[in-house]
Amino acid sequence: MEAVIQRAKELLEQGEVKAVLGYAKGTGSARRPHFARQAGQLDKLVMDEACVQNLAVYVTKHEVKKLGKVAVVALPVTQRAILQLMAERQLRDGSLAILAVDDGAVKELDSASALEEHLALKAQVLNAKDKASLADLEAMDQGQRWAYWQKELSRCMKCYACRNTCPMCYCDHCTMDCNRPQWVPVASHGIGNLEYHMVRTMHLAGRCVECGDCGRACPVGIPVHLLTIGAEETVHELFGQRAGHKAKLDYALSTFKTDDKESFIR
Amino acid sequence: MSRIGVFTCHCGENIGATVDCVKVAEMCKDIPGVVHSVEYKYMCSDPGQRQMQEAIKEHKLDGVVVAACSPRMHEPTFRRAAGDAGINPYMCEMANLREHCSWVHEKGEATTQKAADLIRVLVEKVKHNEPLHPIKVPVTRTAMVIGGGVGGIQVALDIANGGHKVVLVEKSPSIGGHMSQLSETFPTLDCSQCILTPRMVEAAQHPNITLMTYSEVEKVDGFIGNFKVTVRKKARKLDEHLCTGCGLCIQKCPNKKISDEFNEGLGTRTAIYVPFPQAVPNKPVIDTLNCTYYKTGKCKVCEKMCPTNAIRFDQEDELVTLDIGAIVLATGFKLMKTDAFPEYGYGKHKDIIDGMQFERLASASGPTSGVMKRPSDGRSPETVVFIACSGSRDRAKGVPYCSKICCMYTAKHAMLYKHKVHSGKAYVFYMDIRAAGKDYDEFVRRAIEEDEVKYIRGRVSKIYEEDGKLIVMGADTLMGGEPVVIKADMVVLATAVQSNDRSEELAQTLHVSYDSYGFFAEAHPKLRPVETNTAGIFLAGACQAPRDIPETVAQASGAAAKVVGLFSNEELTREPIVAVVNRQAAPVYSTCVGCFICQGACPYQAIEQEEIMARSGEVIMTLARINPGLCQGCGTCVATCRTKAIDLQGFSNEQLYAELMTL
Repeated sequence: MEAVIQRAKELLEQGEVKAVLGYAKGTGSARRPHFARQAGQLDKLVMDEACVQNLAVYVTKHEVKKLGKVAVVALPVTQRAILQLMAERQLRDGSLAILAVDDGAVKELDSASALEEHLALKAQVLNAKDKASLADLEAMDQGQRWAYWQKELSRCMKCYACRNTCPMCYCDHCTMDCNRPQWVPVASHGIGNLEYHMVRTMHLAGRCVECGDCGRACPVGIPVHLLTIGAEETVHELFGQRAGHKAKLDYALSTFKTDDKESFIR
Repeated sequence: MSRIGVFTCHCGENIGATVDCVKVAEMCKDIPGVVHSVEYKYMCSDPGQRQMQEAIKEHKLDGVVVAACSPRMHEPTFRRAAGDAGINPYMCEMANLREHCSWVHEKGEATTQKAADLIRVLVEKVKHNEPLHPIKVPVTRTAMVIGGGVGGIQVALDIANGGHKVVLVEKSPSIGGHMSQLSETFPTLDCSQCILTPRMVEAAQHPNITLMTYSEVEKVDGFIGNFKVTVRKKARKLDEHLCTGCGLCIQKCPNKKISDEFNEGLGTRTAIYVPFPQAVPNKPVIDTLNCTYYKTGKCKVCEKMCPTNAIRFDQEDELVTLDIGAIVLATGFKLMKTDAFPEYGYGKHKDIIDGMQFERLASASGPTSGVMKRPSDGRSPETVVFIACSGSRDRAKGVPYCSKICCMYTAKHAMLYKHKVHSGKAYVFYMDIRAAGKDYDEFVRRAIEEDEVKYIRGRVSKIYEEDGKLIVMGADTLMGGEPVVIKADMVVLATAVQSNDRSEELAQTLHVSYDSYGFFAEAHPKLRPVETNTAGIFLAGACQAPRDIPETVAQASGAAAKVVGLFSNEELTREPIVAVVNRQAAPVYSTCVGCFICQGACPYQAIEQEEIMARSGEVIMTLARINPGLCQGCGTCVATCRTKAIDLQGFSNEQLYAELMTL
């Protein structure tokens, strides 16, 4: 961590970045995001097992963009999210200094191509717990799976925490908030909840960087991350593409190819 | 409050026999917003349309629902009528009571109720309709013809004579196509080259025609009137401007044993070659796969011999992009090869040949100079068996269709053979004789009666070789299926006509539909036979279905007439059914977030970037913008957009929501 703080200090003092985004101690054992705008605020930065949040969710916010160039202490999930955001043109290439901390050492990446190269070096592995949960869901028959989600989603109270914590849910005007016409009911009830989560899953299929923040954000403990991660894994299986690995947009679900294996497209 | 009129059509018996139209019209009067509802036997007829127009004026209607057949059939009719009556044509919608109701249901109360529901849905839609205005686009008055066979040449000449520029693209080194390979043509037996080569020269010399031989279409962007076509000019490996076509290089090329495509493998050619002496343009190409220089790095004899120093070994393919207003596809066909027939020896017997090989044997410019010699030993064949329908009308061979030209050319072949070998015997095995056409049946009768060709109705089950003879085992079904065994010297298979190689690829490049056999699909089998479903792209000849020369030429002139008709306009009017990205007042500007995922989804490259700038010139946002000229209104981007920032005009989110919610 000293190395990160040291480099961050240099960047701040030389005026290369206007702020450094990293983790600091929060309540209890939790870690919270921390913006250091002066070198003196860098001491609070920590890096340990409890730092899990995907910090990329902050860098698309207007308030952060307004600051100018920002350095981000970036775990692999954060790196993937940033690269995907750059591919989707939500971040300008070069607008961030990425301090990759996944190998113990600090590696500074300041362009999409550097990120792409860095991420290509290692395979993306799903954590064991999510993998097991997905396998359990996979083992169910369709009826059981339907009943499982009906039951889980009935607890949803439409707080949209899962949406707001997701780095890929960056739209200023979410279709869920659209009321002319109101396709998805706002109130928290069976069909409306199901529709919301189905739309969220489809919007993230092929774009989800598998950080799992949505599941962690849920105040009532619905494993909503399994929906998006499951969809992402399916896309990977079918099309061999993964979100957050390419500097150029490579989105399986909207790419028109005349040599598609499905005959209807011709 | 809307003032909507509903006009229910009986479509004669089509709707009226199943749906109680009178009751439907009555029920529609109760739909909120409907101020006028009537039914009529034939709404599309003149009195029907007039009734609608009068009602629009009398009841001051601001929207119209015509409940009749499919909008594909009569939407333009009714929209035009509505427009003439003074309302915006796009305020007229059709409820499809025929295909969506009467044709698919039994007569009954529920069917009538469904008809009323369909109308109710459309009434809700019309309430949310907005007046739309046709989009005008300019027309580039240059046509491209793809394929330089007889069809392509005819299209090019007709358009050029109509006063417009034409680019004729041909993939082989010379124009002429299959017709240049033929010996004589049915039913007049006039020499194929004698009637074709003057046309080839005419095309080459026409001031309005640009020939691009040895070239292939690589990419097509744009839309009717405004295509951008990228053509790959394959490297001939010589400077066309310097080459005089003297042919010295061809004479001196040491590599002379290459199988000759023009002679269907019955002759040989050199590595630097022109396909045939009458080729247009008469400029050789180097076959880099077979040329000694490209294989070993040594030789260059042609370069040394060339009096004008035209040889360019380092020449590369060239990509040329052209602005084109209309495209005509005339890419022709290919013949099934003899190796597709296990029962006839998988093509391993040299004396079992296909129809085109026979043409070369019979042709004065062919490898035998027109003398009948069988390929294996060069002897004159005393007995020749012709087998019609080889592969055609045979589901097992994947060709259930009739190849159409074989009955006629088989009769022609048998006659040509008899004319050349007077003592010879010609047998034709056939399934049916299909000789419909001017002077066609007379021609076949002549073969049978005057030239004594023996026609046997039946199939050949097997051919094998024995003592230098081909034993043809068939059956005569007119003699009760009696087995027939003929010892032949040569067998000619009238193999099936198939779509050309890579036709599917080309269809995909041009976004043209094609059938399961790879033939390009016409827009309507009867009423729009030379148009494709893609506006501005037309068809001529055997790329659409098996065709003979007269039909190909007729269709070519038809396609040319379509192109000339298109070019008679200065600008084109297009349907305004296009997608639009919403725009709002500052500081929102649009709900588009500029992720450009829609850009990848668009099959027509219609989505562009638009920068919203502040007065200072600073870019505030980059948003998607849809080029209305390129957009085809498919709606793929609408479905892809996460923020629903894109709406399809005429099928907007609000319209669809209103339609659904009324049910």
